Amino acid sequence: MGLDGEYRQLVSALMGKSIATRLIALLTLSAALIIGTGMLLDYRVSREEILQRLSEQAVVETEVVVRDMENWLNGIEATTRLMARILEQREYSRNGLKDMLRDVVANNDEIFGAAIALNPDLASGGRPFAPYYYSRDGQVHFTDLANRQARYTEQPWFTVPLERGEALWSEPYFDTGGGEVNMTTFSVPVYRVDSEGRRQIYGVVTADVTLDALHAVLQQLHLGASSYGLLFSREGMVMSTGSGRSIMQHYTDLHYKGLDLDSWRRIFQRALQGQTSTMDFPCPESEDRCTIRLGQLQTTGWPIGVSFRQQEVLSPLHTYTLKTLAISAVTLLLLALVVYLLTSRLTRPLQELTRATEQIARGNLDTPLPKAQGEDEVARLVESFSTMNRSLKGYIDDLAAATASRSRIEGELAAAREIQMSMLPGDGDILLTEPGFELWARVTPARTVGGDLYTLFRQGEQFYFAVGDVSDKGVPAALFMARAISLIQQLSLTMSSPERTMAELNNALERNNQNCMFVTLFLGVLNLRDGALRFASAGHTAPSLLRDGSVQVVAQDTGPALGLAADQDYPGNTLQLLPGDRLAVYTDGIDEAFSPEEEMFGTARFNAELLAQAQSPVAQAGAAVFDAVAEHAGTRAQSDDITLLLVQYAGGDEPMSSESFHLGSALTTRVQQWLQDVMRGWDLPSTLITELCLVAEEIASNTQKYAGLSAEDRLELMLILRDNALVLKARDRGVAFNPLSEGKRAPLGADIDAAEIGGLGVHLIVQLTDRQRYRRDGEYNILRVERDLPDQSGQQP
Amino acid sequence: MDLTTTVSIDEENSVARVALDGALNTDTAPAFEQRLQDVVDKRFALTVLDMKDLDYISSAGLRVIFKAAKQTRSQGNKLAAANRKPHIDKVFEILKALPDMAVFANEQELDDYLDSMQRRALDE
Repeated sequence: MGLDGEYRQLVSALMGKSIATRLIALLTLSAALIIGTGMLLDYRVSREEILQRLSEQAVVETEVVVRDMENWLNGIEATTRLMARILEQREYSRNGLKDMLRDVVANNDEIFGAAIALNPDLASGGRPFAPYYYSRDGQVHFTDLANRQARYTEQPWFTVPLERGEALWSEPYFDTGGGEVNMTTFSVPVYRVDSEGRRQIYGVVTADVTLDALHAVLQQLHLGASSYGLLFSREGMVMSTGSGRSIMQHYTDLHYKGLDLDSWRRIFQRALQGQTSTMDFPCPESEDRCTIRLGQLQTTGWPIGVSFRQQEVLSPLHTYTLKTLAISAVTLLLLALVVYLLTSRLTRPLQELTRATEQIARGNLDTPLPKAQGEDEVARLVESFSTMNRSLKGYIDDLAAATASRSRIEGELAAAREIQMSMLPGDGDILLTEPGFELWARVTPARTVGGDLYTLFRQGEQFYFAVGDVSDKGVPAALFMARAISLIQQLSLTMSSPERTMAELNNALERNNQNCMFVTLFLGVLNLRDGALRFASAGHTAPSLLRDGSVQVVAQDTGPALGLAADQDYPGNTLQLLPGDRLAVYTDGIDEAFSPEEEMFGTARFNAELLAQAQSPVAQAGAAVFDAVAEHAGTRAQSDDITLLLVQYAGGDEPMSSESFHLGSALTTRVQQWLQDVMRGWDLPSTLITELCLVAEEIASNTQKYAGLSAEDRLELMLILRDNALVLKARDRGVAFNPLSEGKRAPLGADIDAAEIGGLGVHLIVQLTDRQRYRRDGEYNILRVERDLPDQSGQQP
Repeated sequence: MDLTTTVSIDEENSVARVALDGALNTDTAPAFEQRLQDVVDKRFALTVLDMKDLDYISSAGLRVIFKAAKQTRSQGNKLAAANRKPHIDKVFEILKALPDMAVFANEQELDDYLDSMQRRALDE
């Protein structure tokens, strides 16, 4: 993952989750930055101060020790010089000198030993005289240096001061025969002026100081546990160090890891010149850096210094750093805790609200909302949610009620539709075959219920039919339509002509018609024998007539729509139908159907569609018109009820025969005997005769088995010979049963093991005829099958 | 139209030959069913329905044949049809009836089959 990715992860970690988490993270981070910056600045300033103070402290400490050392050495020098003065000016007996010497050693702790060595040339009697007192184990001991083998007059501590003519400190040396310790000696030459005024060497007075004593004074320096003092002789011999190991070695012989001799020489030379200088070097015993500060004792000219570890000197600073860090951490922790507590307290209502709204979103509207306290934004938010929740509950209840009411109305409307359709013959979709003519009609309401109607019935040779269109659509139209259709059926039979019926109908509908509903109506009576049609129109669309390959709109005289004004006259019209004529009566739902482009279907298109279907059976032609209208409307919802009624007139001389059979024994034989006689009379092919006999047998045996009728009940069969088809109609009063949809059909093609016994009859009916149609007409089952005739040219269809 | 049924038995080969003459329809089916049942009950190895003179058959007649076919099958015997006229064939075809039933188109096919049966019986 790249830096960018890490950054985004950090941001999403900070921005994700709850507001509380984000607040805590952001506030703590901000506070950490601020406090951290403050602490850092404070640390920087304090560090400078501490360093300054430490440096000053080191200088002061060093100065104190150097001064102590100076004082200490000055005391020794003063004592020695005093003895030298006394010796210069006064004459002592040898014993007197020895006493004085012993007193000096005994009374001065810092002086290890002291000697008075006289010049043998000047001394009385010419004898060497060099008494030496030194202290050991708290006792003062005496030794006579003159008795030693080595002549003291040849020792450096005797010769060098005399040669140089001044008091001086010797290089350190190991004193053999006397103290048996490392020491350095302060020697003062003593001169006397003789009677002739010449300056004579009288002797040398010495005082010894052990290196141990020097060491003790020097190690008072304290600059940390590992610090120690350093003291060198003028020649560079080590006189005191921290460990005491390298005493009496020359500093150039020291071997330390990382020791830089050149630097050493440089600071050593500068110390001899009286300058104080500082040098850093790796500490001999650890990984740290050590510092040496080297100056010069004024008294003796010895380089004196101090070595310390920077780490130890700076330890107060480190302690301070640690303290600062600890305080910062604790402060941050406390801050984060406080921020967490405060944020939690502030956002708790929000979190509770979030949980509650999640529940509400899942549909648990009764989830309690958190209690709102005070007047802050959260409280107002909670209040808003509470209001929203109440409103939501209200809406949902309203919606549920509306939905329930709507589905109840829909249920009622569906029932109403069934009732309305049951008022129409064939429940709104009928194919009626009678000798000499055929009729097909269908209603499609725009809504669940509608105001279009058709009706038809036969009285002897007279066939009555009507098509109407009630103003408006929906329930009011449906109720008015129900009224109209009952009145039509009632009045048609009592009145002598369609125009009289129409006038009566108008008066009946006008009564109590406060809503001013009206209905346009076509009412016709067809004489089935001769094809004469009498009809009246109450403002209804003129019908179309298909004759000899062309379609014409039938001219008509029309009266006003029914139901608006009483006592109207309706003119009568007549039309002579010829065999082969097809009359189409329809409502304006067809010609006034609009396309999405606002184009009307129109009469011309309707007539063209009728013509196009001239050769089709009426049912097929009618369905084609409905399809054409639906295709024209396209995506537009059907705006008006649609009704179409087609009458196909074949002529009174159409060959037909009908017979009625009781359902007793040998039904098949009787039916087939009749059929064969009729069909042979019509000169039909024997194959057709055999197969139609088979169909008739299956229909008859179905009735016998399933109609629930007794042997005395009857089956009526009618056979009609059309130009191009043979129609067989079967009618019985049995229980309503549609063999085409409800009859048992065994699956075909099964082998012997799986084959069912029975259920084959319906297959034969369907396979051996071209069209089948069942309808229930009142208490009758009517099954109509049609078989196309072989083509005139002799080809099989 | 009536139906005349003639049954001839070849005991030696265990073959029953049932010849139908006339129409097998709803009216004639019950009597034929009884007649055929008697033959089937005798458990011949082969029962041949000779339809040479059968002019008509309806679903009621087919039902009887279906039933007999199932019974002979369960006995381990055979039911076959011979000499079906074209329009009888058409009814069988429409109903796709008994696709696995043995059918002999004419006397020759039937005789050949009977001969082969005889030979097999002799071989055993």
